Amino acid sequence: MKTMTYREALAQAMRGALEKNPSAVVYGLGVTDFTGIFGTTLGLEKDFGPGRVFDTPLSEDAMTGFAVGAALNGIYPVHIHIRADFMLLAMNQLVNSIAKYKYMYGGLFELPLLIRAVIGRSWGQGAQHSQSLQALLSHVPGLTVVMPASAQSVLDTYEYAATKARFPVVSFEHRSLYDYSFNMDGLKPQPDPFTSRLVREGRDVTVAATSVMVADAVNAAKFLSERAGIEAEVIDLHCLTRLDSKMLLASLRKTGRLVVADAGWAPFGVCAEVSRLVATSDPGLLKAPIIEIAQAHSPCPTAKTLENHFYPDMGTVADAICRLAKGRKDHGVELPSAEYKKRLYKEFKGPF
Amino acid sequence: MKTSYEEMFRQALRIRLAEEKIAEIYPSDKIQSPVHLSIGQEPHTAALIAALADTDQLYTTYRSHAAYLAKGGDMPRMFAELYGKAAGVSKGKAGSMHLCWPETGLMGSSAIVAATLSHALGAAYAFQLRGRSEIVVSLTGDDSTEEGVFHECLNFAALKKLPLLFVIENNGLAIHSHLATRQAFSLEKLAGAYGIPYTLSKDGLDMPAVAGAAGRIAARVRAGGGPEVYEIRAYRYMQHVGVAQDFDKGYRDRAEYEAWRARDPLATDKTLIAKFKSELDREIAAAVDFAERSPFPSCDEVLKDVC
Repeated sequence: MKTMTYREALAQAMRGALEKNPSAVVYGLGVTDFTGIFGTTLGLEKDFGPGRVFDTPLSEDAMTGFAVGAALNGIYPVHIHIRADFMLLAMNQLVNSIAKYKYMYGGLFELPLLIRAVIGRSWGQGAQHSQSLQALLSHVPGLTVVMPASAQSVLDTYEYAATKARFPVVSFEHRSLYDYSFNMDGLKPQPDPFTSRLVREGRDVTVAATSVMVADAVNAAKFLSERAGIEAEVIDLHCLTRLDSKMLLASLRKTGRLVVADAGWAPFGVCAEVSRLVATSDPGLLKAPIIEIAQAHSPCPTAKTLENHFYPDMGTVADAICRLAKGRKDHGVELPSAEYKKRLYKEFKGPF
Repeated sequence: MKTSYEEMFRQALRIRLAEEKIAEIYPSDKIQSPVHLSIGQEPHTAALIAALADTDQLYTTYRSHAAYLAKGGDMPRMFAELYGKAAGVSKGKAGSMHLCWPETGLMGSSAIVAATLSHALGAAYAFQLRGRSEIVVSLTGDDSTEEGVFHECLNFAALKKLPLLFVIENNGLAIHSHLATRQAFSLEKLAGAYGIPYTLSKDGLDMPAVAGAAGRIAARVRAGGGPEVYEIRAYRYMQHVGVAQDFDKGYRDRAEYEAWRARDPLATDKTLIAKFKSELDREIAAAVDFAERSPFPSCDEVLKDVC
């Protein structure tokens, strides 16, 4: 079996962007240091030179606006934030400039660029090192927001972004996925990676998920298939600003039951958006109320015991699938044990 | 300096007459967009841009009519843009505050003070990386130097020795707030902290002085000397936004205005005004006529070019 970790895919994608697009430039705080953004930019400065791969001052605002001026002049900027939270310092550029540049000038300009933002999780990352801000940016017309959930998705999405896309992309990468190993056997690049993808077929319940919750949903689905004969269909929403609503509705036509599992907060977020899509398109497809799985609607606490209550996991998804499949809360299906989950996931060890 | 005084004068007068025409039309509500007139500040803008190469890029603010016209932007399409017409520069989606004319290097104007400083930074990096001989000019007001991003941009420009000229047009006002209530620093010393050379022109109405200084600074930046800061003192004759004067509001003294205007060549040089006025009036009338006759954009334009 050929496997690849998310981290390896990112490293390959960054090198690929610089090789396949001679105008690509990769920059951000720590891009050239010995850790190389968790190993995803190591060696690039040496191979492509300090003009195309460089470290930056702590100037998120200026370095985001920098991408605008560079992109207007034929450069393909890849700007990396080692924590998504730091990107908040650049909201003016993201919302007031990047999202509007094409529209505001009547289509005279395009801004092909990529911003990578890493979502931290666990080992006490706390309130300001862990935020999943995908909904915040997806709300603004003009930005394309993706959450690659697998190694293949990283490869497809970033290659397309760096070589074909003519629009600004913000990508949220979940730190929990970095060491996750994906089976690459038989996978082919998706022709248009900027949409949703069906990652598992099933007849009983549809799970629409983002980012790390896709892996949790697939693991939960496999577990329930083996232990309880329940077959969940899993849709990786992936491109939040271009959700494949046809794919979602076709799945609901089959299952009539929906779990939305997002790595962010539920109110006004991906859970709310997917529920809105169903409610405004064809609510009659639902045989039961939608179950939302999301972080607790609070800042992220640091203490591990509290953090365990803050984040959902594959057990949360499995429980939701069973509740919908069996039609009751006390479904009686045994959920994955702590040992079972430990075998699947390499526990993240901090502090970085 | 390749542009003659008369040419600069003509350009500055052209901008003033165009803006006076905007003020004349404004009460009709045909222009439904906030306009920030540059009347009083056109001489330095015309002189600055006369000292640049046509291929140099410019990034500026919402007070953009002067820079647009001086940088070579098409006048009929500007009026059509103000009118919200399909033939406008940006099909009416930009209005007065976001004029651009990429063909001659005006790459954007932002309504967010200081937002374009970093765009100029990225453009200058692209020029340097590509080994191009053009320079990038950032034209913003004194208020932009108070934003944190100004520091970020000075730092990075100095760090990479970018071909970037920060022009600060200092009219002493941010809307109605005076410089003294806003700034505890000296721009010269701030630039000096980054090792960035600073030049001051105390009189933006003195076009030969501005063009001369701008030409010398631009030549140094073009030769690879790194970024520079160039401050030009000027005076805003009109209210912050809109087409009236506001000396009756009590936040500034009419005598200041009288003093500037007494030296303003666009008000005092009757000979040159007489030489160019009728020709420019005809150009402006034709531009207004073009805007009047142009159709409004079709409603499907609302959802075009979003991403």
